Amino acid sequence: MKKTSLKRHERYWALAMGLPGMTVLIVFVAVPLILGLGWSFTNKRLISPLPTRWIGGANYASLLSLRTIHLEPMRNAQGAVLVDENGAPQYAAVREITKSDPSLQDFSEWFRVKRGRGYVVWLAKDPSFMNALVNTIRFVLVIVPCQGGLALLLALLVNQRIRGKNAFRTIFFAPVVTSMAVVAVVWIFLLNPEQGIVNSFLSWMTGGGLQKIPWLPDRRYAPVAIYIVSIWQSAGFQMLIFLAGLQSIPEQLYESVRIDGAGPWQSFASITFPLLRNTTIFVVISTTILAFRVFTQIDIMTKGGPQESTSSLIYYVVQQGFRQQHIGYASAVTVVFFLFVLLVSGIQKGLLKSSSEVE
Amino acid sequence: MRHSRVLFLTLILPLVLSVVACGPAKSANTAVTLWFHGGTAEETAAMKAQIARFNASQKKFKVAMTEIPGGAVAGSGYNDSVNAAAVAGKLPDILDLDGPNLYNYAWAGFLKDLTNVASADLKADLLPSLIEQGMYKGKLYAIGQYDSGLALAGRKSMLQKAGVRIPTGVKDAWTMAEFKGALAKLKASHQAEYAIDLKMNYGAGEWLTYAFSPIVWGFGGDLINRTTWATADGVLNGPEAVAAMKFFQSMFTQKLANLTPADDNDFVNGKAALGFCGHWMTTPYYKAFGDDFVLLPMPNWGKKAVTGMGSWAWAISSQTKNPDGAWAFFQFMLQPDEILAITNINGAVPGRISALDKTDLYKEGGRLAVFAEQLKSGVAVARPATPAYPAVTSAFYTAADSIAKGGDVKAELDKAVDKIDKDIKSNNGYPEK
Repeated sequence: MKKTSLKRHERYWALAMGLPGMTVLIVFVAVPLILGLGWSFTNKRLISPLPTRWIGGANYASLLSLRTIHLEPMRNAQGAVLVDENGAPQYAAVREITKSDPSLQDFSEWFRVKRGRGYVVWLAKDPSFMNALVNTIRFVLVIVPCQGGLALLLALLVNQRIRGKNAFRTIFFAPVVTSMAVVAVVWIFLLNPEQGIVNSFLSWMTGGGLQKIPWLPDRRYAPVAIYIVSIWQSAGFQMLIFLAGLQSIPEQLYESVRIDGAGPWQSFASITFPLLRNTTIFVVISTTILAFRVFTQIDIMTKGGPQESTSSLIYYVVQQGFRQQHIGYASAVTVVFFLFVLLVSGIQKGLLKSSSEVE
Repeated sequence: MRHSRVLFLTLILPLVLSVVACGPAKSANTAVTLWFHGGTAEETAAMKAQIARFNASQKKFKVAMTEIPGGAVAGSGYNDSVNAAAVAGKLPDILDLDGPNLYNYAWAGFLKDLTNVASADLKADLLPSLIEQGMYKGKLYAIGQYDSGLALAGRKSMLQKAGVRIPTGVKDAWTMAEFKGALAKLKASHQAEYAIDLKMNYGAGEWLTYAFSPIVWGFGGDLINRTTWATADGVLNGPEAVAAMKFFQSMFTQKLANLTPADDNDFVNGKAALGFCGHWMTTPYYKAFGDDFVLLPMPNWGKKAVTGMGSWAWAISSQTKNPDGAWAFFQFMLQPDEILAITNINGAVPGRISALDKTDLYKEGGRLAVFAEQLKSGVAVARPATPAYPAVTSAFYTAADSIAKGGDVKAELDKAVDKIDKDIKSNNGYPEK
């Protein structure tokens, strides 16, 4: 049969069918992408009578510039280290240093690490962006394995022949169809240190050992709270995908390993997990991309705080673009974000593909 | 080919219909659109009733209200919507704005100048504080039905039991030492778990600037340099501001205030002995405690007694096609009785002197007299009138939130200064056109 060339009316149909989808894609994906790229080289503001100017790579320079300086203890004229009333060595204020040095004019302290008697101080032109970037990476690194693992576990559980498995499936999936905004508000109450059910439960479980954990107002716990809520809300979705994968594994394979005397663990390791490879690849890549976009729970539960410990890239984009009205700058963040996600997905795909080709 | 035509029609028809449906509805009276920030349920109901009365009172215009959530004290949702609408040219005819955000919109040219629209009689009758806050660069852009009140809520019985003096008015307000002493005594008297409710349940938003930047002023600091308007350096991170925010932080570290109230009711539930009390809480507090509830003036923070003022005010969009309809509604809702219809619900200070005279609440000896007294005596201070306000407030409330939660005071304020200065610089110092 010769290669089909579409007949006239078929082409007409194809166009008609494709048109709505293509229109949506062009209007809501392609155009904003190109506009954003263009704006990222300007100082465009949201509502402003000032004209928009082309400023080249200034936004990117402001986002990505990093420097380090060494901070040594201050010494008096004789060379002795100055100490405060507690005997701790005193250091010059980093702000004084950056303000007085023209080449460090726009930098401020991001974080510092102890080295020897002094500190290595990392300076950034935009430490808030750096915090958002690091928080987002940390979020992805926690969410992908934990959420994927939990989803697989849940899928295995509800794939058993147990009574009421449909009820369990529904319960585990219910948070997914609940809006994240609602979930976040409910969890604010659950996580309230004094009246929240989470702390009451933890305190009861540990016989009063764990008391009043300040989930949201403490920079050590706030990111953990965000992880928990995120996983709780969306693990059901990945569970469903794993479940579909599990149900496509032929029952005969399990029967044959059982005849060979394999226990449940062995049959999981040698049958279930290898045959779930494609499902797992899909889950890992899609969870990664979804996790990079974390925003709603942060906006509602913590506003990126305390001390920027929970801000994320998308949260930073909204804050810069809408609340501070710096559209040009926010566009530059989205471009960096886009390239970063592209890079990570590319690496992931390369790694997972090459390992599946070994087989 | 017939099939394709049918298909084409089924695809096109919904589009055509939706365009037709969205087109201007033909009716006898002109539609005037209005956005409201979505206050408490009672406030919204009162607003709806007011609009219904206007629509019934005449036949020429019909005001249609859209309630946009995310306003109130929590913060940013309403402003996001207004920003987006301003860019898209889709602003309603009438909108309400939270006090200081007005300056940015006025600077950007999105608001109609009302200076010559409002009559001299009206302007003379408005509270001076409302005129002050509605003006940007000598022009009037917004008129509020009411001004806000912020004072301390207390219970006479609890204060007496703890041995704390009850001030009678602004003249004999607590000094800083007395205020600290009162907090310590109330905490020690064990009548309530916390000495004071700072309403941290409102989250990192405008509340923190409205309620606690007055402490910064009271210590002698400020949010921005009010001479040059070009920087916050040396002012918001100066020694006075640092001292003020250290005091703010100490209320949490000493467990005098609850960092995580579950809701608005810590004072009503008896969890806190005092409370930062915005006018919108006076009705529930009075309902809970009756005459035991007492409104106390803000203390003298050291340099001076300061409290916040400014509230939601009404403006007309410069994009409006119905300036007459919009102004007709302004005239209606600014009548003394209509103002009182709202303030009787939300407890705010009526915005016209003729309305203020019609109620006993704010007269000497009245339950809410402290609010009016603070406004008249200059204790209440407006937030800075600068187009950079959105950047100023978000920098400040983010810092205040971090400070309350244990952040380093000086470092957080430095960061806020950097954010404000960067914003002013990137807007070329907000030049006038």
